[in-house]
Amino acid sequence: MKIGKKAQEEMVGFALIIIIVAVILLIFLGFSLKKPQKEAVESYEIESFIEAFLQYTSDCKNDRNIPLSIKELIISCNKNEKCYENSNEKESCEVLNEIMTGIIGESWKTDLIKGYELNIFSDKELLSLESGEKTKNYRGSSQDIPSEGNLIEVVFVGYY
Amino acid sequence: MKNKYGQIKIQQMAFMLMAVTLFFVLVGMFLLVIRFSALKETASTLEEKNAMLLVTRLAESPEFSCGKAFGAKISCVDEDKVMNLKEQINNYENFWGIENIEIRVIYPKIEEKICGFDNYPNCNIIKLYDKEIKGFDASNFVSLCRKEKSDSEVYDKCELAKLMVSYKKVK
Repeated sequence: MKIGKKAQEEMVGFALIIIIVAVILLIFLGFSLKKPQKEAVESYEIESFIEAFLQYTSDCKNDRNIPLSIKELIISCNKNEKCYENSNEKESCEVLNEIMTGIIGESWKTDLIKGYELNIFSDKELLSLESGEKTKNYRGSSQDIPSEGNLIEVVFVGYY
Repeated sequence: MKNKYGQIKIQQMAFMLMAVTLFFVLVGMFLLVIRFSALKETASTLEEKNAMLLVTRLAESPEFSCGKAFGAKISCVDEDKVMNLKEQINNYENFWGIENIEIRVIYPKIEEKICGFDNYPNCNIIKLYDKEIKGFDASNFVSLCRKEKSDSEVYDKCELAKLMVSYKKVK
């Protein structure tokens, strides 16, 4: 009877060890099989996006009949200046808004991004565009544009 | 009697040790099988990472970058240079170790036209190699610039584009 009880205790002990080892192995397996989630939007992509769109040449021209880039349009908008499109006088800020809406709409169509936010500001707000959902996972980048002793900041954030 | 009980105990321990060792060997073999089956996937992931790294650097390489001709711009690709590179692409076989390089204008949006010397610059897709894009690709935003003339002055005409690099999947 005593020997029988001892054998039962040992069997329970063995079973316990097996269970503990199995649980540890399962946890280890879970970690090793878990695929690292691919980052939907890399920050280098957003950084390059800002760099690239600032160089985009618009159809709005200065008084020397040279088309303005987005960077020049931002500076012009900060000074409340006008530009010329097909000989029509237009507000720089208005043109900037139009082009940036088009650029972002075409560039961030992908399902990877759930929302975005673009802010261009100096001591005042020059442009603010946002769309979609603002999730807790986001990546962004900013760039400064010097203009007459001031800094104009361009900030783009992609939510995914 | 006491001696016999001790023998049983030693035997029990030997069985226990054998069982535990066998258990760990089996688990180890199981893990090894999983690891080896994931090797192919790891190779593909590495290729993908390489493509991402390459695409971030490609725009700054001498064959693509605008250089000082456009005023020291970053992420700027010289469209005229790329069109000339397209003609010389046979000299660059396996140079970047990739399947294809494509530059696609995303803004302004026009009807899709593949660039050749007959329709340049009224086109929006430059395919450096005339191959189908297979496997996976990595892309990055660039500004695609060329020189244009307005009345008497020459200016930089830049469009927003995506530089895409495609890799073959590891078999």
